[in-house]
Amino acid sequence: MQFPLYAIAPAIARIAVCLLCAVAALHAQTPDSTKTVEEEEDFSQYENLTFADTKAKNYCTPKIPGLSPQKLISIAYDLQLPAELSTPLPPAESRRMTAHGIRLGANIPVISNNKIVWQMGANYWETRYNTTGNQAESPNAFTRTLTERGLRTMGLNTTLFKPLNDKRFLLVQASADLNGDFRWNDFQSLSYLRYSAAAVFGFKPNDRLMWGLGAARTYRVGELNYIPVVLYNWSSTNSKWGTEILFPARGHVRRNFSPRTILMGGWELEGNTYRLNQLSNSNYPDAELRRGEARLRLVLERQLRGFIWLTAQAGWRYNWGFNIDQGDFFRGFNGKQPYLAENTWSNPLYFNIGVHLVSP
Amino acid sequence: MKKNVQLLVLFMVAALITPILTSFRADDEADRVIGIWEPSSGKARVKIEKIGSKYYGKIVWLREPNDETGKSKVDKNNPDESMRSVPLKGYRMLKDFSYKGNNEWADGTIYDPENGSTYKSTIKMKDNNTLEIRGYIGVSALGRTDVWKRLQAAGK
Repeated sequence: MQFPLYAIAPAIARIAVCLLCAVAALHAQTPDSTKTVEEEEDFSQYENLTFADTKAKNYCTPKIPGLSPQKLISIAYDLQLPAELSTPLPPAESRRMTAHGIRLGANIPVISNNKIVWQMGANYWETRYNTTGNQAESPNAFTRTLTERGLRTMGLNTTLFKPLNDKRFLLVQASADLNGDFRWNDFQSLSYLRYSAAAVFGFKPNDRLMWGLGAARTYRVGELNYIPVVLYNWSSTNSKWGTEILFPARGHVRRNFSPRTILMGGWELEGNTYRLNQLSNSNYPDAELRRGEARLRLVLERQLRGFIWLTAQAGWRYNWGFNIDQGDFFRGFNGKQPYLAENTWSNPLYFNIGVHLVSP
Repeated sequence: MKKNVQLLVLFMVAALITPILTSFRADDEADRVIGIWEPSSGKARVKIEKIGSKYYGKIVWLREPNDETGKSKVDKNNPDESMRSVPLKGYRMLKDFSYKGNNEWADGTIYDPENGSTYKSTIKMKDNNTLEIRGYIGVSALGRTDVWKRLQAAGK
């Protein structure tokens, strides 16, 4: 029996047409993938469901709606307007000075899943002090240290958020900072690293509130101290108002004009203890500056494009302390140890502007 | 000649059937992601389905379905104003995932209705009932992973 190709060609053509029709029919039934929302369906069928894995459970997240975005990478510039700095360190003197400098920060997630969020960060801040009135070289060793060398902070930090279940969590932060009048070509011994840490046991009773209690070892206002801390992050039902508080370090009332524009008003305590090498090499061994300040401020955070955000701060810098000690020790709230010098500094306006890459 | 024609027909049938059978097997593996899933926060449920050759996920349940005025929540944070009145229920928040083999779906995006941001995203299936969904900015290192659990009808 002969099967010339021309005899079976129509059959092959018919099969091909059938296959094409079948493919076309399947394609015609495919929903439009470009649409964001499909037709209304009965969503009640998704209410009475359970986990397929009976051991599965939910965990709370470190976020609530409306919270200001977490910064992954930051570059900012900080400026304090002229203020009168007076030191009793002989020869005593007063000078009007500005303080300004760049602040760089990075905070990168190492592990980020529903059971643990672990981040590592690094920061570099520098503060330069410029005399605005009397430009003659200062006879005072402390003032000269500030104007000639400025202050720098370089540190590593880590943050761990560990949800225990859908209502409770642990938050642990730790940092190691090298603070002082060091320069890149005149680096400071790592023996002057200063360590801070905080731990909070927290609750998330609903999607709009996180609160917790804990304790901290901190140099935040210059002095080493051990203090209780309170976390209170809250968002209103419409997410237009909220609070972001880690008392006493910082506290803000938040107004969300949109997810891309946030205004906050509140305070932040800032500072550390700074090894003053230049002063230590004169007549004051182991000199350390206990710098602490409270910043009462307005903070505007606004999305520039995509994940790039702008932060602008304006406020009043209140001098908590700018005193000189010798060595690092615990004075606490009631310590009687005398300072080497109790400096005074008037309280100027300050401004800070920064650009940030923010986290998902 | 008859033998040649039989060989030709066999070859054509094999050429037609082999990719179909292979694609059925690949589809079976890729389609395991289809189903109802709950993110770790438990605030929503997402139905992942296949449209064409890609995978999409839409919100089908919200723990808090209504806003402060008692109306159904809409996508009020969307940067596109025309989308801000679209209901969140039914919203397609996972888009354009393709199966890459090795239990991984990639080249997709995930949308966060809480801030109106869209992130690049990959899905990794840890086991039949567990997905790791990573949203990231630019490079995968700058991101966050959430674990989603499969849901089924109660009493199954």
